[in-house]
Amino acid sequence: MEKAMDVEMEREGGGEEEEEETESVSDVLRDRFRLSTISIAEAEAKRNGMEISEPIVACISDLAFKYAEQLAKDLELFAQHASRKIVKMEDVVLSAHRNEHLAASLRSLCDDLKAKEPQSERKRKKTPRKENKATTSVVHIPDN
Amino acid sequence: MTPHFTTIDFARHRDLELKIQNKHNFPLSLSMEDENNTFDPDLIHAIFKLVWTRRALERERNDVADALDCEVGAGTSKKNRQTSANGKAIKLSCELLRILITEAVQRAATISEAEGASKIEATHLERILPQLLLDF
Repeated sequence: MEKAMDVEMEREGGGEEEEEETESVSDVLRDRFRLSTISIAEAEAKRNGMEISEPIVACISDLAFKYAEQLAKDLELFAQHASRKIVKMEDVVLSAHRNEHLAASLRSLCDDLKAKEPQSERKRKKTPRKENKATTSVVHIPDN
Repeated sequence: MTPHFTTIDFARHRDLELKIQNKHNFPLSLSMEDENNTFDPDLIHAIFKLVWTRRALERERNDVADALDCEVGAGTSKKNRQTSANGKAIKLSCELLRILITEAVQRAATISEAEGASKIEATHLERILPQLLLDF
């Protein structure tokens, strides 16, 4: 009985160390993520003829990072629901279900990525007019 | 004025966006070779793995607690093998996150422009935030 409890204590001690380690890894990732966000956000602001203030970019970055973590959790759940251990494209497309335009954009991107596979047989080739806005509709123009 | 995000406002918002599109003549293509940079797939993969590891540890910890009662070996449960991701799924996720950032900035820029400001500030961001979070 005591032995079992000792094992449990050891495990928990190791668990704490692991937690600290994941914390610092998380910080590094967060910083790298912020750098990427800054460049994407500033480029996009420029495209709109605007400047964006620094704390706002930091705010968007934190939001996106939290979203990414939430996305990871959702993807794991979707894969698990489909009795899989590997997250696939269809899981990502499913996670975008809340906005129809977003879902359509992702789905068309998904088809493009599939079409790039050398071995898979190509289905009817789609050249959709891809938009990067979730609010405008996506027009699909089939090639033949 | 508190913004409500009814369908009417959404449509008006959309018209404003279309106006901006036409004004700047953007191709608005959602392609991987976009001039916009995007997230590094390895970075996103690392973030995902971090979350999945954390969750796997949680599950393992819970399993240990159960194991002491039921004498089932922890770690033998299928649930403890960690989730992994397809490369294409990561690429799509990068794109999804990039769209999130882009949408946030673009919508906030619309508000900012409507107000006649040249810089996107907190007030602009907070107005678009509810609908943004609903869309994603």
